[in-house]
Amino acid sequence: MARFFAGKGVQYALVLLFAVTLNFLLPRLMPGSPLVFLAGEDVGFMTAAQRAQLTEAFGLDRPLWRQYGIYLAGLARGDLGHSVQQGRPVAEIILGRVGWTLMLVGISLVLATLMGVAWGTAAAWRRGRPLDVGSLGAAMLLHSTPSFWLGMIFIAVFAAGMRLFPVFGAMTPGAGLHGWAQAANVAWHLALPLATLTLITIPDMFLIMRYSMLGVLGEQYIATARSKGVGERGVMFRHAMRNALLPVSTVFMLNLGYIVSGATVIETVFSYPGIGRLLFEAVLARDYPVLQGSFFVITVSVIAANIAADLLYPLLDPRVRYAR
Amino acid sequence: MEVAKTVKRVRVGWLGMVVLLAMVLSPTHTRAQTGAVRLAITRDEGWLNPYTYQTGFPGWNLMTLVYDTLFYPDANNEPIPWLVRDTRVSADGRTWTLTLRPNLRWHDGRPLTSADVKFTFEYAAKVTHSRWTPTTRNLDGVDAPSPQTVVFRLKQPDAGFRLRTLADVPVLPKHIWEPVTTVAAARAFRNTVGSGPYRVEEVQDNQFYRLTANSEYFAGTPKVRELVLPIIRDATVTFTALQAGQVDATSRTLTPELVAQFEKAPGIKVARGAGFASTILQFNVEHPQLRDVRLRRAIASAINTNLLVRLLMLGYAVVGSPGYLHPDSPFYAPGVKFEASKARAVSLLNEAGYRDRNGDGIREGPDGTPLQFTLLTLAGNPIRIRGAELIRTWLRDVGIGVTIRVAEDAAIIDQVWPDFDVCKGRRFDMAVFGWSAPVMSRPTALVDLFHSSCQLGTINIGGYKNAEIDRLGQQLIVTVDPASQKRIAAQMQQIIAQELPVHVLFYPDTIMAYRAGAYDRWAFQKGQGYVTKLSFVDAPK
Repeated sequence: MARFFAGKGVQYALVLLFAVTLNFLLPRLMPGSPLVFLAGEDVGFMTAAQRAQLTEAFGLDRPLWRQYGIYLAGLARGDLGHSVQQGRPVAEIILGRVGWTLMLVGISLVLATLMGVAWGTAAAWRRGRPLDVGSLGAAMLLHSTPSFWLGMIFIAVFAAGMRLFPVFGAMTPGAGLHGWAQAANVAWHLALPLATLTLITIPDMFLIMRYSMLGVLGEQYIATARSKGVGERGVMFRHAMRNALLPVSTVFMLNLGYIVSGATVIETVFSYPGIGRLLFEAVLARDYPVLQGSFFVITVSVIAANIAADLLYPLLDPRVRYAR
Repeated sequence: MEVAKTVKRVRVGWLGMVVLLAMVLSPTHTRAQTGAVRLAITRDEGWLNPYTYQTGFPGWNLMTLVYDTLFYPDANNEPIPWLVRDTRVSADGRTWTLTLRPNLRWHDGRPLTSADVKFTFEYAAKVTHSRWTPTTRNLDGVDAPSPQTVVFRLKQPDAGFRLRTLADVPVLPKHIWEPVTTVAAARAFRNTVGSGPYRVEEVQDNQFYRLTANSEYFAGTPKVRELVLPIIRDATVTFTALQAGQVDATSRTLTPELVAQFEKAPGIKVARGAGFASTILQFNVEHPQLRDVRLRRAIASAINTNLLVRLLMLGYAVVGSPGYLHPDSPFYAPGVKFEASKARAVSLLNEAGYRDRNGDGIREGPDGTPLQFTLLTLAGNPIRIRGAELIRTWLRDVGIGVTIRVAEDAAIIDQVWPDFDVCKGRRFDMAVFGWSAPVMSRPTALVDLFHSSCQLGTINIGGYKNAEIDRLGQQLIVTVDPASQKRIAAQMQQIIAQELPVHVLFYPDTIMAYRAGAYDRWAFQKGQGYVTKLSFVDAPK
């Protein structure tokens, strides 16, 4: 067992180092430089010496390998550096954003999984009947709907048209609310982006659950259960659904790792202040430290989710335990 | 053009009655202060202080609500005295003696004196900032002989001193900024104690800013008590929020296709005026073929800018002037004209020896090189992309091949203006490009744009060279008298109109929409719009 964990540990450490190196290199492969965001729009009126002073202040004049060394050393100390664009520590920026993203993507993932599982179970149970065929069509349609489009339709209908929800943001700007009023306000702003993201995610869960359920329903132990007189509900929930949940749990764990990466498109459409939008803006600004920092946090969380999945799977599926 | 100023309709209710009563009882009192106004902005602006704000517009304008400049551009972009009561300029134009107004105070109650002004310019010289530092290059020194007197000593007279230095650089409180000595520290500095009509009350990263009126302001109580600035990145969402009443105004100029709809929308007013931003066809004048002025004139002749304005901007733009400057600019030379005509484009090309020798529909030069160019344009700007497509069609019609390459901002800059340093050359043929409004307002705009020295022609991204332009330009930058400035600028425009180092396609109108019920006392700054300090406080008397 200890050997297994040591092996896994080395494997994950290598993955992390590889990812960290890519996180460092990829942003720098893009054409363009962060200079305009460092200096502002009047950068053209500066002398070469003044420009040099700015790049120097942010260490961008150093050779790449030196910058890489500084970056790694910073990481080792837990320092993600300073944003080129905002001048603030990257860790502080990410901390300010990650809560919004966790709330939006996390709640949506849970909702979508629950709904997808229920829907997929129901459809598989009635395989080939109108409910199943209709569901499959609806899921395919939803699956191929661009999220920005759905978001904009929601804004147009529910926010701009019926004025039931706000058009943008995570809370009413400058309202100065506190306590429950603030929580209600945040929930009200969350409704549309959450609905959009959940609707877009449900089909994934639905499809996996339906196929998994169909597979399980064909197994002999289902026939055995039926023949020994287990009721239909019992067969569906105790025997079929529980076993069919395994692939869903894998996908759920994988998605869990990505929840900090946010939902760039949804966050942009709804002007939601999450990590996805931060990444998008950092790409435009060539804000290397913010890109590196965000990617680092995402990498770590994906790896953590993988470790969690590795540890949880034997608990969910006894066969894996016995095999070892 | 100025937005009509009407008395704000007072809502019925006891608060309204009180306000009304107060107005009746004191007829000399200025009009009621509006409660809160929500003005949507496009992106994060740091902490809204002089070293962290981000954009030239509206960032600079919003920052000047918190900090004051010595002068301030009025509705016609003419600098008017702001912190300054009295100005004396020596005969040689090199010594400027300014007297500050009495009783100026920082938000923390400390007095604002000439020592702060002196400190500001010395600080800008030391701690690099792209906008403030270049203004110190021509300064020999700043003296503060008495708390209210500041003396600027210039190395040489400067045409743009009043607008680009005095009306541009915000005065910093010495007692707060003195310990902040490095660029990195200044860019991370969060203090917002200024002297302006508003204080920064709340900053929510990437969500909004909340400013409150400085009731002690020397020029009078600001017209709006609280100013909320929500950040909305997406243009469509911004205008939807305006229509739905979730914001009252926006720094974005209305897109042409929305104008008719917004003009009809209840509660929304649309203010329209000249726009000083430009959309241009930029030539790389160093390109072996595009260096030929006859070819540039032929290309310009083939482009129907009138039709471009109608098709792309639905008429909400002014057709480009060949001398670069907008007809409403104070420096515009009325004589310069350029008439497009396909027939003329064809005859120009024929005369210059560009013929289709191999029958592939593309003309070749005398040396056999085909007239085949790459046209760069900005992704995410549908108007420019469609413009590029029209240009491709029209040039194809006269035998010039164009391949359009759409790229995002940083990638375009990398080819057109590497490292934002024209000394570093260029790697492109043609680009649909544009300059922001402030470029147009500078008295030295034509020098910045066309002088061949990369130190003076800092935005001469096409690498244009002309000895006469250089000579006139050098004369212009040291000319202080407005009439002489205009005369020299006119001569320069004549040359540019002949040589066409850039072809100005059009100047999009500035179209601003706002909810009149929330606030209706916006001041419209020519070429820029209503995000100006003058919308919130009257000029000091």
